[in-house]
Amino acid sequence: MVLGVLCGLASGQRALDLDGHVVDPFAAASGKPVVLVFLRRDCPVSGRYAPVIQEISKRYSDRASFWLVYPDRGDTAQDIRKSVNEYGYQLPALRDPEHALVKLSRVQITPEVAVFDRDRRLIYDGRIDDWYIDLSRARPAPSTHELQDAITAAVARTMVAQREVRGVGCYIADVE
Amino acid sequence: MTLRERRLGWSLLISGTILLLPQLSAGGKSKNPPSFAQNASEGWGTPSPGDFSVNSSSELTFDRDVAPIIFRSCSSCHRPGEAAPFSLLSYSDVKKHARQIAVMVRTRAMPPWLPEQQETKFADELRLSDSEISRIVTWVEQGAVEGDPADLPPAPKLVEGWRLGEPDLVLKAEKPFILPPQGTDTYWNFIFRVPIQETKWVKAVEIRPGDKRYVHHANILVDRAATSRKRESESGAGFGGMEIRIESQVFDPDSHLLFWKPGTIPYVEPEGMALRLDKGTDLVLNTHLQPSGKDEVIQPSIGLYFTDHPATKIPMLLQLENDLKLNIPPGEKNFLVTDDFTLPVDVDLIAIYPHAHYLGKDMQALAILTDGTQKTLIHIPQWNLNWQAVYRYAAPVLLPKGTTVSLRYTYDNSDENPMNPNHPAMRVKGGNRSSDEMCHLWLQVLPVNFDVAKGDPRMALQEALARHNVEKNPADFEAHYNLGAMLQAKGNLDAALAEYKAAVQLRPEDATGNNALGAALVAGGRPQQAASYLQAALKARPDYFDAHYNLGFALAQQDDFRGAVDHFRTALQLEPQDAAVEANLGAALAEMGHYADAKAHFEHALQLDPNQPIARENLQALQNEKSQQ
Repeated sequence: MVLGVLCGLASGQRALDLDGHVVDPFAAASGKPVVLVFLRRDCPVSGRYAPVIQEISKRYSDRASFWLVYPDRGDTAQDIRKSVNEYGYQLPALRDPEHALVKLSRVQITPEVAVFDRDRRLIYDGRIDDWYIDLSRARPAPSTHELQDAITAAVARTMVAQREVRGVGCYIADVE
Repeated sequence: MTLRERRLGWSLLISGTILLLPQLSAGGKSKNPPSFAQNASEGWGTPSPGDFSVNSSSELTFDRDVAPIIFRSCSSCHRPGEAAPFSLLSYSDVKKHARQIAVMVRTRAMPPWLPEQQETKFADELRLSDSEISRIVTWVEQGAVEGDPADLPPAPKLVEGWRLGEPDLVLKAEKPFILPPQGTDTYWNFIFRVPIQETKWVKAVEIRPGDKRYVHHANILVDRAATSRKRESESGAGFGGMEIRIESQVFDPDSHLLFWKPGTIPYVEPEGMALRLDKGTDLVLNTHLQPSGKDEVIQPSIGLYFTDHPATKIPMLLQLENDLKLNIPPGEKNFLVTDDFTLPVDVDLIAIYPHAHYLGKDMQALAILTDGTQKTLIHIPQWNLNWQAVYRYAAPVLLPKGTTVSLRYTYDNSDENPMNPNHPAMRVKGGNRSSDEMCHLWLQVLPVNFDVAKGDPRMALQEALARHNVEKNPADFEAHYNLGAMLQAKGNLDAALAEYKAAVQLRPEDATGNNALGAALVAGGRPQQAASYLQAALKARPDYFDAHYNLGFALAQQDDFRGAVDHFRTALQLEPQDAAVEANLGAALAEMGHYADAKAHFEHALQLDPNQPIARENLQALQNEKSQQ
């Protein structure tokens, strides 16, 4: 049974940290599940999720390895650093100008997340929760928690109910 | 020595919240436009049957086909310093959001415009035509090409700073509000003390709500008696709350809808319809804020533009409502609430402002003319509080005497309503909290074709509305109270007393009701009866200035000057700058023989207000007496 897509970055397609160094988030995860959080700086929904992302990453910090990923080719490291500081993120950030991580993660929208298990298999990609109904409307509080369910599944090596649930926000393809 | 009465507590309770949210208006073919997430999973470009995509063999370009629509309908908000989260001013701006734009216009989520198309047109309609939508969608499907720069229309003109030029008076919120990064929508009220020494006429107001990206809408209420200040923890701090209530002491109904939403261009009132601002008036800015994910500093300012021409035409805000009928069981998907009010005079309808909270669904207002024909005044098929707005008509709509304005709102209190604040759904009633529900419709009307000799037509409107409300909900405290106030203002004291009594019977411990009844009894020469109601008012609200003042007055009329002095002193502690209290305190002291003390208070009263008649008259009397001795 195939639980997920075995991941591997093609050579020449590498995400960069904010100092310009090539980073493989999987190698750096020391065997923990990996969570990639895709954000666009110009996406208001990405912004509003910042406290939620930080809360979840704190809660699961000992069980999973979290990375922020910025896919907009036009973003400089400095732009991203500024944004990370403004929102008070305590998470490492990556630039993904070649969309290497985007392709690997199959995400389409920001904010969306990709959760990989210890064997680097993609077990979930999509929304964090169902807070937003569409770009005009958000629920008072989310009623589903896909990201947390996926992390729990990755840790427990079980399956998630739905492997993909698309998010509400801004298209990544628009910044290709 | 004469004691003169002053504040006999006729207050009109004006519940002043103007909240409207527009939502995905189902102007397209589908009543339930597919959600954004569904669109995304289907692929942004897949047109559904009956959708907007055009069968076009020629390639559409940004410069020729799309830029004119974007520049006209999007760029006024989508530019730096404005409300939208990103700019749409150039090809590269638009390309970066092309798929998102296609979805937003196809579902009519953008530009934000809730009402359906109707015969009676609104000014500044933000609706895109079907062909404009199909042009944008097809352009995106074809690959969003740029085209020939020679085709590009001129870039939209960007006005920096105040839209109408430098205002005559700029007011800035004394203290900023720090919007927390997280949580649900936040409602904050800023009070602006208007530093004018004489009456001014305002022809335009520009609201700069602070960082526009986080302010969903803002709404100014004119507080002529500075009653809202009491709600501030410290002066200038502002106060929380979605719906606020302004009390007024005289017949001076609100006349203007002063509303800001993203993209609002300040409205200049037509000649003769300026807003009156008196010395001592506060402007209360009610803001609806949405957290951004980080701390945001919100410090609004207001620009006022004056005219030398006093108002010659005074419009009035009519409020239809039926909050008492809001008692919505959990699971109810289609709870209907109505209110039908028949106009006693001819009016021109200038603007309309529907308002509900999160359960509001289909909101409609009709005019039923005397010949039975119906005219849709507004129809919002899918309410969205986040996009509420004041809608101004392209031309005034004449509603002749006898026309019935009919409000018809439905509410969805099921779990399927994603905006429902309660999961699982629970019973929801009318109220001021955002988790309560509301059923309001404001109409800005200008009475026309009236006979000046028959008095102020606004009074006829207000009285008819007050009577209508009492008939509609006989157990409505506010309806009786307002009708009482209305009748008292007309000089019909006995009828007013009956309404106040009905109000106090409904809420025996209500401070405002007891004070009004007490004050009316004082005015009717029945101070003994008045005292017990005024004492009840003070029991409910010990720091109630009006009740202390009125009770002091009632006691003085019964020759209990010691008691009167006590209450006037307390009133003075509550409002040290009130010349009338000073004057009456002086008069009571004089009655007790404390002339030196009395003189000091008269003099202070005249310092506060050189024309204070009681102080002037009594000081003169004191001096005459002295010279005779």
